[in-house]
This record gives sequence, structure tokens and C-alpha cells, in this order.
Amino acid sequence: MKKAQNWFLILLFLGAVFGFAGVTLVQKSRDFSERENRALAQLPDVNLEEILSGEFEQDYETYLSDQFVGRDAWIGLKTDVERLMGKQEIKDVYFAEDDYLIESHAGTFETAQAQTNIQLLASFLEKYREQFLGNRMTVLVAPNAVEVLDYKLPLYAPDSGEADYLEQIRSAVPEGTWFDAEAVLKSHLNEQLYYRTDHHWTTLAAFYTYREWAEEKGFGTVSLADYERETLTTEFLGTIESKIGQAEVPDTIERFEREDEGGYTLQYNQVKETSQDLYHMEMLETKDKYAVFYGGNQALIQAKTEVKNGRKLLVIKDSYANCFVPFTYRDFEQVDMVDIRYFNSSLEELIAEEGYTDLLFLYNASGFAEDTSLMKLMN
Amino acid sequence: MVFSSLLFLFRFLPAVFLLYYIAPRKLRNLVLFLFSLFFYAWGEPKYVFLMLFAITMDYCLGRLIDRSLNQGRKRAAKGFLLVSVLVNLSILGFFKYADFLIGTVNSLTGLDLPLLGIPLPIGISFFTFQTMSYTIDVYKRATTVQTNWVNYGTYVSMFPQLIAGPIVQYKTIAEQMKNRRETSDDFVEGISRFLIGMGKKVLLANNIGLLCDTVMALPAAELPVLTAWIGAIAYTFQIYFDFSGYSDMAIGLGKMFGFHFLENFNYPYIAKSITEFWRRWHISLSSWFREYIYIPLGGNRRGAARQIRNILVVWLLTGIWHGASWNYVLWGVYYGILLILEKFVFKNALKKLPGVLRNVYTMVLVILGWVIFKCEDLSYCLSYLRAMFGGFGQQLIGEESLYLLGNYGVLLVILLFACTMIPKKIAGRVMGRLGEASWIGTLLKAVWYAGIFIISLAYLVDATYNPFLYFRF
Repeated sequence: MKKAQNWFLILLFLGAVFGFAGVTLVQKSRDFSERENRALAQLPDVNLEEILSGEFEQDYETYLSDQFVGRDAWIGLKTDVERLMGKQEIKDVYFAEDDYLIESHAGTFETAQAQTNIQLLASFLEKYREQFLGNRMTVLVAPNAVEVLDYKLPLYAPDSGEADYLEQIRSAVPEGTWFDAEAVLKSHLNEQLYYRTDHHWTTLAAFYTYREWAEEKGFGTVSLADYERETLTTEFLGTIESKIGQAEVPDTIERFEREDEGGYTLQYNQVKETSQDLYHMEMLETKDKYAVFYGGNQALIQAKTEVKNGRKLLVIKDSYANCFVPFTYRDFEQVDMVDIRYFNSSLEELIAEEGYTDLLFLYNASGFAEDTSLMKLMN
Repeated sequence: MVFSSLLFLFRFLPAVFLLYYIAPRKLRNLVLFLFSLFFYAWGEPKYVFLMLFAITMDYCLGRLIDRSLNQGRKRAAKGFLLVSVLVNLSILGFFKYADFLIGTVNSLTGLDLPLLGIPLPIGISFFTFQTMSYTIDVYKRATTVQTNWVNYGTYVSMFPQLIAGPIVQYKTIAEQMKNRRETSDDFVEGISRFLIGMGKKVLLANNIGLLCDTVMALPAAELPVLTAWIGAIAYTFQIYFDFSGYSDMAIGLGKMFGFHFLENFNYPYIAKSITEFWRRWHISLSSWFREYIYIPLGGNRRGAARQIRNILVVWLLTGIWHGASWNYVLWGVYYGILLILEKFVFKNALKKLPGVLRNVYTMVLVILGWVIFKCEDLSYCLSYLRAMFGGFGQQLIGEESLYLLGNYGVLLVILLFACTMIPKKIAGRVMGRLGEASWIGTLLKAVWYAGIFIISLAYLVDATYNPFLYFRF
């Protein structure tokens, strides 16, 4: 072989090796990754004990990878290659029809935690059944995209087990408390019920569910035409996009408002300050745009509305409720949301003090199956 | 440290290149030695002293054996050799097999002796075999003695082959330890070999490993027959591309520093008999056992009964060498019996079959063998094998069999193709037409290897990609 060609290849290789080495040595460390939504590892301190235990070495490799130049682009490239190879599922995310990214929730519904949570919910409802008799108590476990949009999944994708799980919850909760959100959503399959890049349902899906629920509770019929749909952002790339580092189409987040909307006063976590607006527009500038509703999850958000009917609603919820609850402000004079994962006071005391007339338990199915704080329901 | 890591590629490698090629020739082994110790110590520094001990002991014993032989004291030399072999085997036995023995004793006697829980020193099975081959060869006068501790230490600890072989016998590189020329031809070949190996490991083995893991996470009794075979075949591909990829990287790295290690794999999956398979698979290990166990036991020169015994001994040891667990013993005996059958029973019958059928026969047995190798839990292993033959009355094809094939079909075809000599032949023909040394050929190579490098890099960065979705739900 001729020398010049040899040296061309050698220099190319050494150029890559030394080039990446040099760039990663001199570049400034990033503190935080927007896309991964976490603090990135920093250069670990040298310390003899940690070197001997191997901890330093591990930390150093994590640092190198976290701070690797063009990190996000490399992740995207890997996903591209996998797609090219015909992979329809990467990291438990399906590449479904119409550019939907749908989490498979493989195994989620078969864990011991998933079973425990059904028992915890059942005991909680039993405990308060007497206080919310009739149709004043509702369990609304929203199905995930993998269940509702199962016809969009790749051919022969395995069953997620979510339908069975929802059925198990339904049969464990007290008679007359289960609300069948799946039936509602499945009657609107031609509309966008879930974000393509995020694990939440859309405001539209929340609206349809609310409409049926409110009618069942006797608040009369509302129609989509009563609302003005306002687009908050068209650049939402949610948690599922973060997982695989790539999405075809960004999502749109909407809010629904009525002409005759009454005002409300919000109080977060029982601190003095109040606010008149649940929409945190500044969150639209961040990665976590879904937090535009209430600024994200809070332990306790209490709303006093202009309604005067003596009805007070308590919502025990996860983030699926954040785009649902605003609809209820025209039906109740007080709506309190408790996120039990962050709520560390006594629920029993809160219920005794506030004198609620209605209870809504609103979770999404996979979130419910995975939750590890439901034993706090009995506090 | 492993080759397929950002740390190795962009910290270790540039540093060792720089210092090695700056250093005067006399100091180059020392540079390699120091870097190899660092390479070994990274992540688990304590065992570097164990390796230094083994190096120093066998270095001294090698010299003692040589001196005794020179003085005509054959028995003393034999004594020193015995010490070397015993100490090496004790190190290996203690660190690798102590807990296995205790566990076995416990389960046989109902005792409850506490396990030691010692982490396995990386590469111990490889470097103890290398040091033993050295003292044995010095004793047999098959090689000259090494009179420089640094050179000997460099041989044992040399980072390219330290962790996962090939098992380089001292005599094959004794001369290269003293005199070697690093050439640009070798360096270019080293780069290609290294990148091919990295691609095999990072792009092929790791990805098909996901398929294997997916299948083997399911309860064996419920697997449709096709799914069970898909899982077993996935593992068959994974272990070959993982292991041979690692050997490629080792051989390639060796070349970049002027070493020529012997080949370790030679397209094992095109073999037309089990005997041929083992001439093509992990060649450095089979040669080691052949040379240091099988032949000293008498090989095939003392009648069929002795030969059968010798084969069984070698394969029992080969099995146990792969890991301290009963399934490896079973796997070794499985091959021992197959090889005996091929030699004595159906040698001639096999010859009459067409080549394709002989290859299918071989691969079916190899695939079943890998299931035994993969499943340390023997009861799971038996269930899995049973599932492969429909022993639970399961369906032949399930929906998820088709789903997995849809997801991994392209990769499986690539893997099948990559097991054969076809890619090599195509590359040879293209390069023959373009001219190996032409600029167009060179550019084509550059694009091909840069592609492998870049895509592998994407996978390496992604391996630690770990979005923290605390805003989930």
C-alpha cells in the first residue's frame, strides 16, 4: 500500500480520537440538560478513597458521557439508525401511526405495586364512602394512549395489559363510583386525544371526559361550541420525545375558555398569597410546557369560585387532572386538588375541616399503577 | 476499562499513542506496561497488585527454571514449574471457584458455610493461563527465557488482550517483545480491525442482545416455539459478535503498537461439523487446552479408551473455565460427548451429507449448546430447551414472535450475512477492482470506517442517556 494513502487514513483516525479528546477537555461543562430535564454530572473531585473503591472511576465516566460534545445530536442519530433498521419500538416507546410516540408500559400493570395500589384505593374509598354517598364519589382512572390508541400501534405489538388492569380497579371500587373514561375517549377516536410526544392526554380529551362526567353529576350539558379554544404553544416536545431524543411533529397545547367564565381565586399550599390565574405562561418557555397548567404539580391547590351552590369538590389527582380541573370551576364553589405524592399533611383533617360535598379520584392508569405514595391516602 | 467506552477512546487511547510514539524505542515496553496497569486498575485498583504478584512470581520462576535447566538440574526445574502451576491454579481457584465450591458443598451436605463474596478479578482466567503457558514453555525449552521484568510484565498485562483474550502464548510474541517495527501498513490494518470489532460489539452484539433479553425475560413454558428459537438464535449471534468483536479490537490495537497476535475466530458459524466449529471458535483457548492438557495426557496416541478419557477431561475443564457454575460444566461435557460421537460414531455418515445439511446439523447443536451456556439456572435452562421443542404444548408461532421478527428482521439478516465470508469476499472484489492503494479505494474505506465509528459513538453516548422524567405524571 502506498504511504500517502496510509497516512491519510491514520491522520483521519488520530484526528477523530485526538479531536474529540481535545474538545471534551477544553469545553465548558453544562450544568443542566433541558432535554433530559436533569442536572448533568460534573467533573468529580479526586480523592484516594473514592479511587480505591472505584467510585471516582464510575463518576468520571458518567461525567464524560453527560458532558460529551453534541450529546443530544448523538442520541437523535442513534434513534434514526434504529428506525432505519426497522425498529418499531425503542426504550419501551412505540413509533405508532400518524407520528404518535406511545409508551408501551410493558410490565407496568403486572407488578406487586400495581396490585397494592388497587387495595389502597379501595380501602380509602371505603373509609369515606359514608361522607360522599350517592353519586358524589367518582373514580376516574384515565386510560393511556397505548390502550385508547391501540389501533395505531405497530402490527402484532403485545397487549399492554392495561384493559385488564382497569377492569380490576373497576371491580374493586365501591358500586356506582367508577367512571368509564375509556368509553368516552373511544367515541372520539378521530380527534387528537393524546399528545404525540408526551404521556398526557390533551385538553380536548379532558374536555370530553369532563362533559360526560358533569352531565352524570347533574350539572347539565355543555358543548364544545360554548368554548373558545386558544393555542398556547405549537412547540411542545414532551417526556416521550425526551426519552428517545427525536420526534417528527411537535405538539400543540390548548386551553379552553368560555365567554361567561366566572372568576376564581387560587391558593397554593395554604400560603397567604393568592392568584387569579391558573395558567403559568412562563412555563411555555421551558421544556416542561405542560406545567402551563397550575405551574406543574403542587401538594394542594385550593380554588374559590364565584359559584354559589354549596358544592365543594375534592380532587385527589395526578397531572392528568391539571387540564381537567379548570372545567369544574363553573360547577362548584370550591375545588381543592390534592397531589398525594407531595401532600404530607393529614388528608383526614383536611377533609374534616373543609367539609367537601364531592370527591373525585383522577389518575391515569400507568401513573396509578406505578405510584408509590398511595398509602398516604389513609393519613 | 473496556474498549467500547468514551473513556478508552478519548482519554486512554490518545494518551497511550502520544507517549508510546514519543518514547525512545527502549522505553516503549515500559510505556505500554504502565498504561496497561492503569487500564487494569481503572474501576478496581486493588487487584492490580494480584496481577503484579503473578507477573513477578512467574518471571522469577521462569528464570529459576531456565537456570536449573542450564545447570542440568532437571528435577529442580520441574519443582519450580510445579510451584508456578500450583500458585497460578490456586489464584484462579480461590478467586473464581471458591464460592462455587462452598455452595456445592453446602447443597450436598446441608451445611451453611458462609460464601466469601469476593469479586472476580477481571481477566484472571486469561492472564493466569498466559503466565502458565510461559513457565511451561520455558521448562519445555519451547521458548527462550525473558530476562527483563518490564518486558515480561508488558507481555502479561498488555491491555489489548488483558481482559478477554485472545490468550497469547508467550512463545508466539517472544521475539516481538524485543524487536518489532511499527509500520503504517500495520497501523492502518489495526484501525480497520479495531473499528470492525467495535462495530461488531456495539452495533451488532449489543442490539441483538436486547432481543435475547426480551425473550428470556418471559416465562419459558409460555414461549411459542418460534419465539424460543428466536431467543436462542439471538444469543448465538450476540455471543459471537461480542466475543469476536472483542478479539478483533484486541488484534487491531496490537497492530497499532506493532504486535501480531494470532487469530482467535475464523468464521465459526460456517463450520460443517462440531469438530470444525471448535477449530474456528476461540482458537487461542482450544490451542491452549490442546497443547497443555490434551497432548500431555497422551492425546490420541494411546488408544481409543485413553483418547476418550482425554477428550472428556479437556472438555470438562473447558466448560468450567468459562465460569463457576454447573451449566458450564454441563456445556463442556455436552461438547466432549459430541466430539467423541463425531470421532467414533458418525464421522463417515456425516461426510455423506450435503454441505448445507452438515452446517445446519452443526448450528442446531451449537444453538442448543448456547442455551445451556447462557442459562446459569439449570431448571430454567431445561424449561427453555423443552420450550424449543414444543414440550409444553405451546403454539408454534405467537403474535409476539411476529412482532419480534418485524422489529429485528433487518438486524437478523445483517447478522446472518456477517457470519459468513461473503462480506469479506465482496470487500476483496471491490478493493481488487478499485485498487487497494488507489485514492478512490482509500476514500471508500475512510467513509466505511468513519460510518462505523460515528454510529458506534452514537450508541456509546446513548448507553448512559438517562432522562430524568421527574415531571412524569
